[in-house]
Amino acid sequence: MTQNRAKIRTEGVNVHYGATHAIKDVTLDIPDKTVTAFIGPSGCGKSTFLRCINRMNDTIDVCRVTGIITIDGEDIYDRRIDPVQLRRKVGMVFQKPNPFPKSIYDNVAYGPKIHGLARNRAELDEIVEKALRRGAIWDEVKDRLSEPGTGLSGGQQQRLCIARAIATEPEILLMDEPCSALDPIATSQVEELIYELKNNYSVVIVTHSMQQAARVSQKTAFFHLGTMVEYGETDEIFTNPRDERTENYITGRIG
Amino acid sequence: MNGEHIHSAFDRDLEQLQADLVRMAGLVEQALRDATNALVTHDTELAAKVRREDKRIDALEDAINEEAARLIALRAPLAGDMRLVLSVIKISGHLERMGDYAKNMAKRTDLIADHPMVETAPAVLKRMANQVIAMMHQVVEAHISQDSALAHEVRDSDAEVDQMYNSIFRVLLTYMMEDPRQIAPCMHLHFIAKNLERIGDHTTSIADQVIYAVDGLRPDEDRPKADLTSVKDLTGS
Repeated sequence: MTQNRAKIRTEGVNVHYGATHAIKDVTLDIPDKTVTAFIGPSGCGKSTFLRCINRMNDTIDVCRVTGIITIDGEDIYDRRIDPVQLRRKVGMVFQKPNPFPKSIYDNVAYGPKIHGLARNRAELDEIVEKALRRGAIWDEVKDRLSEPGTGLSGGQQQRLCIARAIATEPEILLMDEPCSALDPIATSQVEELIYELKNNYSVVIVTHSMQQAARVSQKTAFFHLGTMVEYGETDEIFTNPRDERTENYITGRIG
Repeated sequence: MNGEHIHSAFDRDLEQLQADLVRMAGLVEQALRDATNALVTHDTELAAKVRREDKRIDALEDAINEEAARLIALRAPLAGDMRLVLSVIKISGHLERMGDYAKNMAKRTDLIADHPMVETAPAVLKRMANQVIAMMHQVVEAHISQDSALAHEVRDSDAEVDQMYNSIFRVLLTYMMEDPRQIAPCMHLHFIAKNLERIGDHTTSIADQVIYAVDGLRPDEDRPKADLTSVKDLTGS
């Protein structure tokens, strides 16, 4: 497999929640235009680590992040970086679909509007359509853009949220268990979408489903007790992991 | 890989698969023993039994393949578990072929039972059979205990089988050159020797599967080979 250049680099990242040492010295490079999966048991720190990448942890008072995280060589924890601008570059999709209580159109238009990405209505229409198309939901909603986003099915809502996340033209898409509330059909549709998205974005996905990680990602990192135990090609991790802790976790053994 | 699965039914399924494979290996070993004894003692009754029993070996292979398919569909095995299931499928395929070779030996035993036996051939064939049976034993042991070092030993010992095959090839060739009436029985004996040599090769392939299941690596193709039966070597031309 050809290796894309590193989009995100982390070096000696530690995260403390008050007295809890949640992330211990994690160093890894996340390549561009690739899907990278974070797997590991609950409480292993994978979501915490994901949230460091768009500084979501900033909003938690007791949370302290040390170490270096760069995107395209730029330190995202530098004082001059505006977290709001950073989050435009680094989109996020959550576990439960959380459309705004607004129309389908406004859900997608909101980000581009506040970031001033459109000069007029025609441009905004174009951005919304493009995002909905990329979110693989355009055909299902094009005739009812003014209806509330909350009226869609769970799978459609999640694809709407993905469309909303990519409407601001981010470079990185973070996904925290994006399919855990979806049925298998909706899951397949979102997975297919994730697979497509890697052509334009660096996608990082946290998942509890081994099969999902295996299906959508090219790189996999296994976290355990705050440490990144193993990181490598997904097919390698799932056929022949190097670390016994990885093996025990992915084969469903009592470690 | 150690420790039990959180799903205990997964462990039970894997154990069932392993148990069937061991049973299959036991049947193949018995077939090989019987076929060899039938040959050496001109026992056509025993040879007939070997031919009949081959159906049981074939049925077990089918059962193992079905169980493995079910396990893959329902449990989606990964990493070491997946390698183990894949190796069991392949090993059962090799065992099935080995059973066929034993059956073929039994068929030929009928055909040469009426001929006076070429003197030294049965002893060499018996030694060859004992060697491959010992290798089979070892490789099944290596599989059960997931011992790749033992599997490597099995790979290395196949060279002895090849050497025995070479020597019997020469012996039979000499007989045939001396007395054309011996050609038919000697050809049959030669095919029997070749069958044993092939069984040794399948045993080696099983050892490769064990190494893959345990270490996740395919062994290199550099195992010792000793097939020197080219016509040029023998005729000196």
